[in-house]
Amino acid sequence: MSALAQARPRTTFRIHPRPRPTELGLLAIVAVAMVVGAAGLGATQRYRAAIEAGSPPTALDFSPPDARALLLYLLGLLVVHALFVLAGRRTDQVLLPAIGMLGGIGLLLMQRLPQDTVVQSFGSLQLGLGQLQLGWLLVALGVITVLALAVRSDAWLRTYKYTWAAAGILLLLLTFVFGSDVNGARLSLSIGPISGQPSELLKVILVVFLAGYLSENRALLADESTRIGPVRLPPLPYLAPMVAMLAIALGIVVVQRDLGAALLFYTAFLALLYVATGRPSYVIGGVALFIAGSYVLYHLFGHVQIRVDNWLDPWRDPQGAGFQTIQALYAFARGGILGVGLGAGLPTIGGRPPVPAIHTDYPLAALGEELGLIGLLAVLGLYLVVVSRGLRIAASAHDDFRSLLAAGLALVIGIQAFIIAAGNLKLIPLTGITLPLISYGGSSLLANAVVIGLLIALSDRGIEPPPPPRPPRAIRRFRLRRGPAT
Amino acid sequence: MLALWVVRLLFLVVIYGFLFAVVRVLLRDLRAASKGPAELGRLVVLASPRGEPQPGGSYPLDAVTTLGRDVNNGIVLDDPFASAEHAVLTYRGRSWYVEDLASTNGTYVNGVPVEGVGPLGFGDEVQVGEIRFRLDRGRA
Repeated sequence: MSALAQARPRTTFRIHPRPRPTELGLLAIVAVAMVVGAAGLGATQRYRAAIEAGSPPTALDFSPPDARALLLYLLGLLVVHALFVLAGRRTDQVLLPAIGMLGGIGLLLMQRLPQDTVVQSFGSLQLGLGQLQLGWLLVALGVITVLALAVRSDAWLRTYKYTWAAAGILLLLLTFVFGSDVNGARLSLSIGPISGQPSELLKVILVVFLAGYLSENRALLADESTRIGPVRLPPLPYLAPMVAMLAIALGIVVVQRDLGAALLFYTAFLALLYVATGRPSYVIGGVALFIAGSYVLYHLFGHVQIRVDNWLDPWRDPQGAGFQTIQALYAFARGGILGVGLGAGLPTIGGRPPVPAIHTDYPLAALGEELGLIGLLAVLGLYLVVVSRGLRIAASAHDDFRSLLAAGLALVIGIQAFIIAAGNLKLIPLTGITLPLISYGGSSLLANAVVIGLLIALSDRGIEPPPPPRPPRAIRRFRLRRGPAT
Repeated sequence: MLALWVVRLLFLVVIYGFLFAVVRVLLRDLRAASKGPAELGRLVVLASPRGEPQPGGSYPLDAVTTLGRDVNNGIVLDDPFASAEHAVLTYRGRSWYVEDLASTNGTYVNGVPVEGVGPLGFGDEVQVGEIRFRLDRGRA
């Protein structure tokens, strides 16, 4: 053993652990919350089962419904923390606990919903909703760790932005040609046993491309050299690749009938354009274009019409098109301010939860019923923490590309959470996208894990600068006046 | 069932406790960031063949910073290829601009000569004479 160790070059395996007390403290609170939540869930489920069986229990059993899953998840978070400590990089300490809390709430919710909502069998092993979600969460934590620790240079993102854009478009085209239809939208792509929703990954690629393009051309885009009548525009050639990229993405997405993704891409595009140029006129113009586009789409496409009509008056067809919306509203109303408690809500209709697609599109309705308004506000607050943290990373990034990338990644999560939350609450027409980090689904969790992993990597404040070299005493006074400050 | 009710509310309380703790961390972070003198930018020396200024060193920038061989410049460049008054960096609105002051050998941004005034983004490289700089965000 000693011969082997000596043969190694000494510099390669130097580990400088750096404690991350903030992260550890916050993770401890996450662990407490998960244990308390699981205890409440387990007790409620047993109590209700006993009452339905006709024998109200005398004592409550506060053991979690799936103790092993809970333990595995908390252990996963702890392992990620330990790896971050060992890596010794000065990265963000708030993001991991924040997404740990969101993922944990999602896990509790998936354990609470009927386990046969989604079942996948691997040989003789059958995994229900909660177990599958746990599996995906652990994979997502792995992705976060790998990206946060392995990404030290952003050159591979920055240099190949057109390649990334092309790969994204290719992915969408593949879905369009070979994809399979889910609920009338061609969303998922299957390669062998693996199937996924490419539009989730595409949002990350879009942000990378936009950040790369805008950071190179932001000064030109803030310029006003082309005039069309009273409208002043930046030089048109510089706007073209971006608009083309967006038009292709939007076009394909509209053809695929994935309205949620289209809305997300467009909003993220406008937000990044504003962050890069600081010109409100872009946003105003973009919103005007959006209104005009929506009007045209409403009259051209039946599926858009159904969504909008359903949003304006779901009671027109309460048993058909409006069923999902109405049931979700009832669920929110049952929850009230404090909620009915995890495990106590959602009286099932014929053995099924009343809101269709509750584990992917409507997790907020379930949370609203069981945790109430208070719980919903807390969940939205957690998203706000992720976004504000991302913007903080953007503000202190070293150059424009990193800054725009961090802002874009954070905003994409925030915008997606807003779109689906507003859709669930009937504030805007419902578009079927996932609630980031809470909804069930591998593609969604993995894409958001990529986002968080990149954000943590971007937050690296670098190795601490070495103390400035001390010049010989004789010339130090001279240099202090006019030398480089280090 | 009182116990059940208490556990249920405790879950919400812990989540809010978490939010409270996070917000405290965020506030502390923001305060620390706002305390330090706000720098508009920083010019890092990437390469200087003569060793003066030292590669790796950096200059905090004022809103208007002049570069050149003359001692009255904000950043004095001891380089035979630099003019006495070579270039000026200005911070206007939200971004940096570089202006070449009709120098003999020109000012380069990412290898491209600057004609008149040109925009300068964070991370861009500026070359004056044989000395190469990179514009970085100011330290918090």
